[in-house]
Amino acid sequence: MVLTCPVATGRTTTHPDGTGQSRRTVLRTGALLAVGAAAVPLTGCGLLDRDGPTPPPDPLEPLAAESRELAARHRAAITADPGLADRLTPIADAHTAHADELRRLIGRPEPSGPAAPGPTVVDGARNTLLAELRAAEQSGRDNAAKACADAPGDRAALLGTIAAARATHLEALK
Amino acid sequence: MNRRTAPAAPGDALAGALAAEYAAIYAYGPIGVRLTDADRRAARTAEAAHRARRDALVLQLSATGGTVPADQAGYALPFPVTDRASALRLAVQVEDRTAAFWRAALPVTTGADRTRALNALTDCAVRATRWRRSAGITPLTVPFPGRPA
Repeated sequence: MVLTCPVATGRTTTHPDGTGQSRRTVLRTGALLAVGAAAVPLTGCGLLDRDGPTPPPDPLEPLAAESRELAARHRAAITADPGLADRLTPIADAHTAHADELRRLIGRPEPSGPAAPGPTVVDGARNTLLAELRAAEQSGRDNAAKACADAPGDRAALLGTIAAARATHLEALK
Repeated sequence: MNRRTAPAAPGDALAGALAAEYAAIYAYGPIGVRLTDADRRAARTAEAAHRARRDALVLQLSATGGTVPADQAGYALPFPVTDRASALRLAVQVEDRTAAFWRAALPVTTGADRTRALNALTDCAVRATRWRRSAGITPLTVPFPGRPA
C-alpha cells in the first residue's frame, strides 16, 4: 500500500500533459491517491498486474486505416457514378492491396476497436466526386511520404511505394 | 523480414540509381524522335528531369567519396523504337525501371537522402502514368510503383 503512492505520484509528474504542475499540486494529488488507495485498495493494482500493458499501437495503423478508407471512398464514388468504374476500380484495388501489405508488415491483426466507419456515401456531379478523391489522394500521399521519412529502413520501401502510388492516383484522376 | 533484398550501402543504391538515370537519358533520345507535339515536349521535360537527377547524384556520390559509375556510350534497348507506339511503350518501361532503382535506395538511406529518393521514385511513377495515358494503356496506374513484379 505504501508503495502505491510514490509510483502513482511519479506517473503524474512525468505525464506528458503534466507540464507546469506545481509541487503542491503533485503532493496534493499524491495525497488524494493515497486516500483513494486506502479506501479502495484494488484500484492501485493495475500498476502491478502481471499481464503487462497492451503494446502500443503500431505507428503504421493510421496509414493502414487510411488505405481502407481510400478504397471505400473510391468504391462509394463508383456506386454514385458507375461510369467511373473503369477508372476507379484499379485504384480502389490498389488501396486494398496496400492495406493488406501494411497489415503484413505490422504483423498483428486488425485492431479491434470501434468498427471503421462504413463506406462514405458520396453524391454529386462527376467533377465534384473526382475533386474530392483528388483531395483525399493528395492528403494520403503526404501522410505516406511522412511515414516513409520517419520509418526504419525495413519499412521504407513499402511506405515510399504507397506514397508514389497515391501520387499516381492523383495524376490518373486529373 | 530482415532479408536484405536491396543494396547494403547507400552508396551502392545511389550508384544503381545513377546508372538507371544514365540509361533513361539515353533512351529518351530515340523516344523523342518518334514523338511529336505535346508528347515530344513531355519527353524533353522528362529527359531534363533525369539529367537533373543524374547531376545531383554525381555531385552527391563525389562529395561522399563513393564510387561514381561511368556513363556508357550506348545502352541496349529492350525492343526497337520504330514508331510512336513503341516510343511510348519504351517511355513507360524506362520510368518503371528507374522507379525500381530509386525504390531500392529507400531502405538504405535516411533523412534528406531518403526524401530525395522518394521524390525521384514518385516523379518516375507519375511520368509512367502520364505515358500510359498518352499510349492509351489501361489501367493508368500500378499498385506498387517500383516494386519488382
